[in-house]
Amino acid sequence: MKKSVLMGLVFWSLFFFSTNLYAAGDDEILIGYTSDAISMDPANHRERTTETILRNMYDGLVVRNSKMEVVPQLAESWKQIDTLTYDFTLRKGIKFHNGDLLTAEDIKFTFDRIITDGAIDGQTSPRKSLLGSLKEIKILDSHKVRFILGEPWPVFPAFLPWQEVVSKNFASSVGNEGMSTNVNGTGPFKLVEWIRGNRIVMERFDDYYGGAASIKPVGKAKVKRVIWKIIPENASRVAALLSGEVDIINDVPTHSIKQIEKNANTKIMTVNGTRSYFLALNNTRPPFDNIKVRQAFYHAINIDLIIEKILNGNATRISSILSPDAFGHKTNLPEYEYNPQKAKKLLAEAGYADGISVTLDVTSNLKDLAEAFSANLSDVGIKAMVKVWEKSVIGPEWKKPVKTRDIFFTSWGNGSLDPVGIMTPTMRTAGRGNYSGYSNPEVDALIDKAMVEIDRAKRASYYQEVETILNKQIPVVFLWLPKEVYGVSNRLAGWQPKADNQINLHDAYIK
Amino acid sequence: MENFLKRLLRLIPVLIGISLIVFLMINLTPGDPVQIMLGDQFVTQEMEQTLREDMGLDLPIYQRFGRFLYNAAHGNFGRSFFHRRPVMDVILERLPATIELTLCSMLMAIFISIPLGVLAAVKKGTVYDRSSVVTAMIGVSMPGFWFGIILIILFSINLQWLPVSGRSTFSMSVPSVTGMLLIDTLLAGEIDSFFDAAKHLILPTITLGMAMGATLMQVTRASMMEVLKQDYILFAEAKGLKWFRVTFLHALKNALIPTITVAAIQTGQLLGGNMIIETIFGWPGVGSLVVQAIFNRNYPLVQAAVLIYVLVYVIMNFTADILYTVFNPRVRL
Repeated sequence: MKKSVLMGLVFWSLFFFSTNLYAAGDDEILIGYTSDAISMDPANHRERTTETILRNMYDGLVVRNSKMEVVPQLAESWKQIDTLTYDFTLRKGIKFHNGDLLTAEDIKFTFDRIITDGAIDGQTSPRKSLLGSLKEIKILDSHKVRFILGEPWPVFPAFLPWQEVVSKNFASSVGNEGMSTNVNGTGPFKLVEWIRGNRIVMERFDDYYGGAASIKPVGKAKVKRVIWKIIPENASRVAALLSGEVDIINDVPTHSIKQIEKNANTKIMTVNGTRSYFLALNNTRPPFDNIKVRQAFYHAINIDLIIEKILNGNATRISSILSPDAFGHKTNLPEYEYNPQKAKKLLAEAGYADGISVTLDVTSNLKDLAEAFSANLSDVGIKAMVKVWEKSVIGPEWKKPVKTRDIFFTSWGNGSLDPVGIMTPTMRTAGRGNYSGYSNPEVDALIDKAMVEIDRAKRASYYQEVETILNKQIPVVFLWLPKEVYGVSNRLAGWQPKADNQINLHDAYIK
Repeated sequence: MENFLKRLLRLIPVLIGISLIVFLMINLTPGDPVQIMLGDQFVTQEMEQTLREDMGLDLPIYQRFGRFLYNAAHGNFGRSFFHRRPVMDVILERLPATIELTLCSMLMAIFISIPLGVLAAVKKGTVYDRSSVVTAMIGVSMPGFWFGIILIILFSINLQWLPVSGRSTFSMSVPSVTGMLLIDTLLAGEIDSFFDAAKHLILPTITLGMAMGATLMQVTRASMMEVLKQDYILFAEAKGLKWFRVTFLHALKNALIPTITVAAIQTGQLLGGNMIIETIFGWPGVGSLVVQAIFNRNYPLVQAAVLIYVLVYVIMNFTADILYTVFNPRVRL
């Protein structure tokens, strides 16, 4: 009897393990992604990760190409009529997934739904502010619409790629509730299955119009199926790539880069990100109200070494708040080199020859780096005690108008790659991200002027002027722009990471 | 029956009390959901205010609590700040996955630990006993997040036997009846899909059930040893009853009472453990959802989820009480 039980056990376990693990086919791409979409409604969320997923099913009027330039997508072209008016001409013959044709009605509906207060079952779209002062959308003919702003806002086109177009008929028939779980877009993929927190399965839309005319190749998606697997835990996501379960993973932790490079079937791909890291120094009280102390801080930190050793070289140094890819970026700003002697001298001149004691606030994910700063600083006589916080606690604390702490090691993202998205919040008086409490009427005036200036060259020159001032005054210690790091399987081709973090799978295929 | 109703009534003040505590704890924790949601994206003050009003955060805290109690009593737990849909919808979508994982871990823990505990007690002092005590010790003290990752490295990366994460592979899809894949696949008669779901369950189940199993084994062993010393066991043996009958019918039945208590408490704790295990294994359950909600200060979701946890906890304890009467008729409810 016992023997037969044992035999049975062996048989079943053989059967169990012999059925192979699911191996991805040649006609599908699997992505190991950090978080699930929170909604399928492109108007009712404010999350970049959700947008990355949705962008494969919904196209917008415009889109950013791999150089981060804004190019027409559903639009054939657009023209700025005056400071408040933009006309968009739509391409003809674009189909939604259900076969309906795209018309100006859909565009008007899409944008009205976002800018009208309470339009989504009493809730206002959280994306409204991404449209700035947009006031009205007029239909000029079946394929032409006019956007009218309430006040000049020259970054309107730079912010437009963040909006996706929905179908008026479809939205009216399924309702807002239905929009949060169903997709009827104009994008290269259709939604097939969404298992919350687990996976999102998309299939090629065979009637796709081809995508942005200026982004080659134009045509329908190359693979038949795309599966987003939701794997929030870093180690598990890396494991899924290494075991061949997925083809792309986002947000690779720095310490796993070597492991992925060593594996024969996987590689690392990077792209300059859009997030600037800096040390916010509390400008509103001693010791950092003294410009010499701030400069001393800059000279005391060995930024190049930290990038090389701790970040494994996956970051680009910055000398102002703007990314090198951003509009208005000024090249050849003087760099504050690592020079402990000079730092000590500056501190002595500022009257702190005996050293300074400060607290360095940081979130747990950046603790290693903060400790490296602290070590550097102690060499010049600055005692910086690292204090680790939860992000949702320390961020709001530093956002309060009255600054009561010393240093905050943090960052600010700027997906628009326009100074409006980063310089205005972090450097203008009382900006949302002005952690350092910096306030300079000259800077404020330039930023305000640039905000409404239509002439691109003039606008850029205002921002460059601000950058020169910032580089001298060092309200914060500008550090670096990390690269976005992706782990990719060698069987994948036709895909490049993008600076705005979006994963667009239209052109990707399996070798 | 009367007692049963009384116990149910007693549940009401418990739930209100817990709601108050949870409400205060999460609302008084520093952190602003509006700021977290907007992050460093472009926003105007006006928009920030609109969002705050949408979330009902413009009201003072006592008004918010009153509103929460009133709505909760009417079965409305509010809208998730981030999903912007009713919180209960969001939770119920994820609940079956958590129940499936918890049940499997509980069953695994019970069916493995009780026989092992009995054997350890019977063979007290032998190598078998000592090694199982040491194993249980390791099982209790090993942190789940570490153990889970070790299992992934061994079975998923090196041996490639089991999947890293998720509940099922793409190739399978069965109509959802109970929401629990092991049952749904069998109902649909899809044996391949059943095995697929089972494979996805193995690692998370072991990781989650490990600590509970180890604790149960220790408790069973201790109480078995106590019972085996009793006179009636000696008497049963003296009567010449078979070893099996004495151990499993006479002794175990009496020894199980403390095990049941511990099992009930531990099952409640499995729900807490779920948060970590679900995050590691990408298991689409309530646990990983709540972890995210806590970091995002998604107040309504955390409040509703905690209430569900409390309810499960209370039900588990109640079940344990009923089981006492089954195993020991002298106990009355």
